[in-house]
Amino acid sequence: MTGFHLAADKRTTLEEAVAHVRDGATLALGGGLAARLPMALVRALVRQGTTGLRVVGSAHSIDVDLLVGAGAVAVCEESYVGFEQDLGLAPAFRRGAESGSLVVRESSCVTMLTQLRAAEMGVPFLPVRGLLGTDLPTLHPEWGTVTCPFTGQLLAAVPALAPDVALLHAPIGDAAGNLHLDQPYVLDERFAHASRVVVASVDRLVSTAEVAAAGVTVPAHVVTAVVEAPFGAHPTSCYPGYAYDRTHLAEYVKAASAGGDAFEAYLDRYVRVEEQTYRDLTGAERLTAWSASDEQWQELFR
Amino acid sequence: MSAQTDGRAGAVRSTDGWTLDEWFVVALARTVADGEVVFHGFASPCAQVAMHVARRTHAPGSLLVEGATYAVNPEPAFVPPTSNDLALHRDAVYRMRFEEFFDAACRGAVDRMFLSGGQIDAYGNTNVTAIGGMPHPKIKLGGGGGGANISATIGALTVWTTRHGSGRTLVETVDFLTDLGHVTPAGTRAELGHTGGGPQWLVTELGVLDYTADGRARLLATFPDVTVAQVEKATGFALAVADDVGTVPEPTPAELAAVRDVDPLGVRRLEFGPSDLARHFGPAA
Repeated sequence: MTGFHLAADKRTTLEEAVAHVRDGATLALGGGLAARLPMALVRALVRQGTTGLRVVGSAHSIDVDLLVGAGAVAVCEESYVGFEQDLGLAPAFRRGAESGSLVVRESSCVTMLTQLRAAEMGVPFLPVRGLLGTDLPTLHPEWGTVTCPFTGQLLAAVPALAPDVALLHAPIGDAAGNLHLDQPYVLDERFAHASRVVVASVDRLVSTAEVAAAGVTVPAHVVTAVVEAPFGAHPTSCYPGYAYDRTHLAEYVKAASAGGDAFEAYLDRYVRVEEQTYRDLTGAERLTAWSASDEQWQELFR
Repeated sequence: MSAQTDGRAGAVRSTDGWTLDEWFVVALARTVADGEVVFHGFASPCAQVAMHVARRTHAPGSLLVEGATYAVNPEPAFVPPTSNDLALHRDAVYRMRFEEFFDAACRGAVDRMFLSGGQIDAYGNTNVTAIGGMPHPKIKLGGGGGGANISATIGALTVWTTRHGSGRTLVETVDFLTDLGHVTPAGTRAELGHTGGGPQWLVTELGVLDYTADGRARLLATFPDVTVAQVEKATGFALAVADDVGTVPEPTPAELAAVRDVDPLGVRRLEFGPSDLARHFGPAA
């Protein structure tokens, strides 16, 4: 890899942090489905006006959809983009794929994991189970097959994938970039070790002693920059802090489904504003109520 | 297990009826054998609820891996409508890592996975990528998660759909082959070197099917308000039909109590259309 990041203080602003993401970059997004997505960083990326991204990862939702809707993405290489049965298909992603403005090179979770592992290990490719007989390889001319030199088995083979930048969000981290995450980590650790640049946002910047006591999931030496962004995963969850905001996600899906002026209005109201304004508008604070009781927790999902 | 006795979801009396969504989940649960290691993917509320029902009834010795949190044998107080949520970790003694689960699935340590699809062919190949195919989809679906890998390696698959009656789900040929059934255009599982057993059951809102020795879906039983002719009409391929097609065995009070206790928010219902949600059975029907 390109080496560790040894600065003692990597604190910066959202704007400076996302300046690491250049037009056309291969971008990894941390978290999964509607949990711990790096949304404050994604919103800053939209404000920055980045274009031509190739986004890679496993199962995602509003992060990818918002970037696609804002015109930031050229190629999408995730294993899933959507809002599950609750809010349905991802509107901007779907519109882009169906109109041809977005190239979807759909991947699969194990394939993505294997490609990141190859990058981490410094090998050019790895074999992976499955894929043969499916249509996914038709979307990936860069994938191939390999015959095992020991058993003669034919296996799918996939190239190493080292993202240019990974955006991660964590509940807590320190100034050097040590991050503590709650499980599931999804691919965050793999992104952290395989990517050239790792930009992290944290709900709370805390002392190194506090992160160490909680347990360091991603070590500072693989992190390039860290930004404090309270409710930085909102409207997705970041436990133990806050549950996901079903009301806001539904508002997003409605705006993205309508597209055009409705989507622009969403961007103006929630994305092209200061994060503090965003937090106030969305009432993110109420989502901390999940921990009061099972009843209150359930209410957040009704 | 407290599922059958605590009063949160209300006691199930023998005079109570039940709904199709409840019965469907029970039919799915019965595909889990006691002692199996079972897994569901995300966006699978019916399968998710079914796995907990199985563990609370006939399969207490199964090892349940909650999809998207990878928690082992959790006891959630409710199933939320998003599958990567802390609510699904409740009382799990251990949470697998993402890598740990997928490695186990790839090497053959996982016995069963639940899979669905926008299209399903006679061999149980599924399409969760795009209606109309790629790269020019008519409808871009969400995508397959890890299915393209682990459908090849997991011991057995329970395939399900709640849209059989649409006539557009069980099709002769899938527009895009995302997850592996028994036979693909490129060959059989054995010819492709895949180690898993492939689809074993297909549960739909019309009935329960298994697979013949040549890997094709075969109708075993229908729900009592559905005829064999209706199932054949809704199926886009030549359907094998068992000699002694019966009705799906009724849910027991314990199974119904488990469904209602595990899923107080009713996330299972998100998978059904309005006409199927109105289907009601049993003494009070």
